[in-house]
Amino acid sequence: MATEQDHVTKGETDVDAERGYFGITFASRTKWNLIRLVTVVVYVLMLLPLLVIVVNSFNPSRLGNFPPESLSLRWYTELFADELMLRALWNSLQVGVAAAFGAGLIGTLTAMGFVRKNFRMQDALVIVLLSPLLVPPIIVGVAATIFFSQIGIGRSLMWLIVMHTLLGLPYAFLIIRSQLYLFDETLEEAAQTLGADRVTTFREVTLPLISPSIITAMVIVFVISFGEFTATQFWVKRTTTTVPVVIFSMLRTSISPKIDALATVMLVVTIAIPLAVLGIRRYAMPN
Amino acid sequence: MSTERARLPAMKDRVMENDWVQFLISPGIGIAWVLGLLFLPMTIILVISFAIPGDFGNVIYEFTTANYERFVNAGVYQSIILESLMYGVVVTLIALPAGYTVGYFLGRSKTDWKWVLLGLVVLQYWVPFIIRTYAWIIVLSNNGVLNTLLMDVGVIAQPLDVMYSNVSMILGLTVSLLPFMILPVYVSVSTIEEDQIHAAKTLGATDFRAFREITLPQSLPGIVSGILFVFIISAGAFLAPTLLGGPTTRMIAPIIEGVFINDFNWPFAAALSMIYFAIIAFLLYLFTRRVDLEEALETGAT
Repeated sequence: MATEQDHVTKGETDVDAERGYFGITFASRTKWNLIRLVTVVVYVLMLLPLLVIVVNSFNPSRLGNFPPESLSLRWYTELFADELMLRALWNSLQVGVAAAFGAGLIGTLTAMGFVRKNFRMQDALVIVLLSPLLVPPIIVGVAATIFFSQIGIGRSLMWLIVMHTLLGLPYAFLIIRSQLYLFDETLEEAAQTLGADRVTTFREVTLPLISPSIITAMVIVFVISFGEFTATQFWVKRTTTTVPVVIFSMLRTSISPKIDALATVMLVVTIAIPLAVLGIRRYAMPN
Repeated sequence: MSTERARLPAMKDRVMENDWVQFLISPGIGIAWVLGLLFLPMTIILVISFAIPGDFGNVIYEFTTANYERFVNAGVYQSIILESLMYGVVVTLIALPAGYTVGYFLGRSKTDWKWVLLGLVVLQYWVPFIIRTYAWIIVLSNNGVLNTLLMDVGVIAQPLDVMYSNVSMILGLTVSLLPFMILPVYVSVSTIEEDQIHAAKTLGATDFRAFREITLPQSLPGIVSGILFVFIISAGAFLAPTLLGGPTTRMIAPIIEGVFINDFNWPFAAALSMIYFAIIAFLLYLFTRRVDLEEALETGAT
């Protein structure tokens, strides 16, 4: 870092490593500018379509011509008067939060088991645990639907929670395990030397130290659950439908800016809730 | 793997006493969850793929290989699987250079905006697929944002007919999956010590040689992880081909959904699922002969 500072002259707008180290050669500057150009294009492609959705959700016209001539909350009013939409939103929130807690709990216990205990076939069992990442969601969806119907379990929110916990579990496990690898086990030994039993040690020492990763894991699982469609489409019935399924069926029937309003609500939830939780985590646990 | 360390002997005795914590803190629950809700259902559809379809999703448990014969005889399903894998390759081939460039930029740039830019990729990663896919409908449709703007400006007289085609499908899918390439590449690139590149160049290496010999090998874990996620997700994509694809777009996930939901032919949907899964598993097997699967998944998911 220090060397870099030495080379970079003050007042230049762009402070990149290439120039700092290697002088301002025409070739490397051109290459870096090319890299920046590609980056800008990618960001435009990623973000602009989402921005269009948000802007269009305030467009009073049914045809949704862009840019809107005026702004209104018409579609939000319609959205929040629609019982099916509200129910879907409420279902999605419930399932997301429950799956976050489910995968957070199971992920913590499982990660601790893998890091702290020795048993045979550890490498193979890790792959088993990560396999929900590898099986295409369409197959997870079909397999679970056939399985539950063959053993005679009807569609319910619990079904969604249990399956979304499965889909989030690999993420939760990996995030919590990476924190456990950094964990200083002598702290637990110290607590036990001072007379704490195993449960107290876990509650007073282990949990506070790994909880930041547990919270991150739960946030990620919520996000995954909240947006999952491909497998979930087979698992819902009318009363347990979720927001992505509702958006999909609206796209099939009638495209109107009401979809943009629902998508914007979904964007806000999927971004604001994680940011809020992570922000609180940062505030409450400075480390 | 293990973090064995010498504990005080007296302590060890007390810790090892049977304790409900000891029972709970084990891989058992997680493994049971996956076995019960993924492996068992997969086994059941393997069984059902050899059964006879009844009416309305019923399954008649009589052994038959008819479902697999249908797959072999009707060549259409084979070409659909092949096309799905091809789309997966195409999307991966576009996402790799684009995502690598952005990941490299984020890893090497010293701009103050870096954290904002990084945050935007993470946010993009969080945005549900259905929304990222739907966004392209509004942008690319004949009366969509792109065409309206281009026609207002006068660049084109007729709307560009790009929506509902392979082009719109590949574009939407690639952009949706870019965060899966950008983030792991960023992580790998940002851990490369810049002194190494500096040293190489001081010793006379060209920019390209320094990149090839230092940056590229060290960012390989990120690339591998990105390729794994982008390929698996794009080849098995459902939303992009359904919502953005055109009449000639055929992919396996919508076909399985159609057989399952519209035809109510559960055994054949099960057989297609098993065949597609076997192909993916075989590709993963080839993949693991060269790289560590666990490491690739860990790089991508954390």
